[in-house]
Amino acid sequence: MKAPEKAVKLALAIALLLFTVRPSKPLVTLGPQQYVRTINPKMGVHTRLTDEVEEWKIKRTLQMVREMGAPWIVEYFPWAYYEPHKGRFDWSHPDAVVNHALRQGLTVIARLGFVPEWARPEDTTSSYLDEEHYDDFGDFVYAFVEHFKGRVRYIIIWNEPNLSLEWGYRPVDPESYVKLLRIAYRRAKEADPEVQVLAGALAPTLAPEGDPEGMNDLAYLQRMYDAGAGDYFDILAAHAYGWRAPPDDPPAPDRINFRRLELLREVMVRNGDADKPIIVTECGWNDHPRWTKAVRPAQRIAYTIRAYEMALEWDWCQALCVWAFRYPRPARSYQDYFTLVTVDFTPKPIYLELQRYAQGK
Amino acid sequence: MAGLAAVCLAAWWAFARLGREAEDETWARVREEGVLRVGLDPSWPPFEYVEDGQIVGFDVDLAREIGRRLGVEVVLVNVGFDALYDALQVGRFDAIVSALPYDPARTKDVAYSISYFNAGQALVVRADEGQIKGAKDLAGRRLGVEWGSEGDAQARKLQKKIKGLTLRPYMATEEALQALKSGEVDAALVDAVSALQFMGREGGVKIVGHPLTDELYVIAVRPESHALLRAINEALAEMREDGTLARLREQWF
Repeated sequence: MKAPEKAVKLALAIALLLFTVRPSKPLVTLGPQQYVRTINPKMGVHTRLTDEVEEWKIKRTLQMVREMGAPWIVEYFPWAYYEPHKGRFDWSHPDAVVNHALRQGLTVIARLGFVPEWARPEDTTSSYLDEEHYDDFGDFVYAFVEHFKGRVRYIIIWNEPNLSLEWGYRPVDPESYVKLLRIAYRRAKEADPEVQVLAGALAPTLAPEGDPEGMNDLAYLQRMYDAGAGDYFDILAAHAYGWRAPPDDPPAPDRINFRRLELLREVMVRNGDADKPIIVTECGWNDHPRWTKAVRPAQRIAYTIRAYEMALEWDWCQALCVWAFRYPRPARSYQDYFTLVTVDFTPKPIYLELQRYAQGK
Repeated sequence: MAGLAAVCLAAWWAFARLGREAEDETWARVREEGVLRVGLDPSWPPFEYVEDGQIVGFDVDLAREIGRRLGVEVVLVNVGFDALYDALQVGRFDAIVSALPYDPARTKDVAYSISYFNAGQALVVRADEGQIKGAKDLAGRRLGVEWGSEGDAQARKLQKKIKGLTLRPYMATEEALQALKSGEVDAALVDAVSALQFMGREGGVKIVGHPLTDELYVIAVRPESHALLRAINEALAEMREDGTLARLREQWF
């Protein structure tokens, strides 16, 4: 065989080999059991691992949460992702998230929502769920709680139902939300009597009566109680954004600030729920250089630390989770200025300061 | 024969372009009505913000100038930033001009113009500085940043690569730039908008080198609005060429 012919055959053989031999996925192990060291056991963050495909990034994110000193995470588990067809579940991704979180010593609070296409009419959004499909959501809640029994002890039912955009762009309906909550609560307890069901969280808003965009969170919560919600949740989830006000800014019904939480608490106590805690599942400040609702980076750091301190002072606050730890990809907007860690896992200065705080420095 | 071929080719090109323009319903409507509707969120001074009940800013003037060159009136539609893309898709307006960063993940959903501004992190030195021309010249130097900012984060990365680079954090961007002007530091790493605003207000400093990060502001239209996009791009290119963009920058920063 002449040399050029040999070379061609060798090249073809190599090409065939490369084509047929697929590189295997890198092995990502859970590693040894870890524990969070922190002076503040109420510190938490909202992770965004729903769209994080690579397992090593899931693990790395949760390692960094532990290393920062935050024992709690809120994570989003979209119904549509895990039950793409009625009765057929795919738990592979959430299993990875939950298992890595537990191995890092973290407690998972699972937000459930995001309606699959088979459970809503065409041309509706993923926040659209009508009452004829509430039982389908209940079935999913049962399946989720049963699958994660012993691993996930906290679930949040929906998100900001007092905003039209989170209610399928329909007029908000606290009474209907309570129907959903009742079904979800019963199914959750059926799967695991120990699971803690969180209602809400409600979006802090001053929307006036009849506003098409949504309903004032204080008014919405009272209507929930009037509709019997008190029997169907164990903990109230709450969102507490500070915008430009420091965390100690006093609460008032006509003001959106961090301490609006105390007004939600008053509604709970007035309705006989003084024994139930609140978990803040989203909160924080933004440090975009130009957004009119942002603060300076130094303020953001100071305010966030102070918010964690205030959570310790409030005996009714079980945990405080800051939005947001890291995104899988840049948001390319002011939203990026909510994060503590960059897309490429570089800790921002605020992460380092929160870590120092958690270490008692 | 060659001349005939050229004429045929030109005619084909013209008809093809006219045909494509005819397919762009948005462009057809804009021209027919004489109105270009622009979506923006007036929460980003100096690009767009509310002053005395009116929406004003760099982007407002940019949009109006584009409209003038297109021969149409510009109508502003106020929408929250998070809803801008959805509102564009459902036709509430024809284009987004709102300090909108280019997002490569959205190029299937929208069509972006050429960039008209880069709001990334800029290296600033004193106006008479001759030796520091970029980040590579920062060895052994003192670099001012706003503590906790994106500039601070980028500077910390630089510090791992550049020998002898010392970081001096300040509580505000303004303080870092004043420290630069007074000689307390040799350079400052801040966002380009803050740098330009300081230069416009105080002088005595200049931006050197390429931005260390990119935050490219662009205009977005629906993917099928190709003729409108072409017209916008042509207007932006002209504005860059004839100095209009530079004049707008001087006016607003």
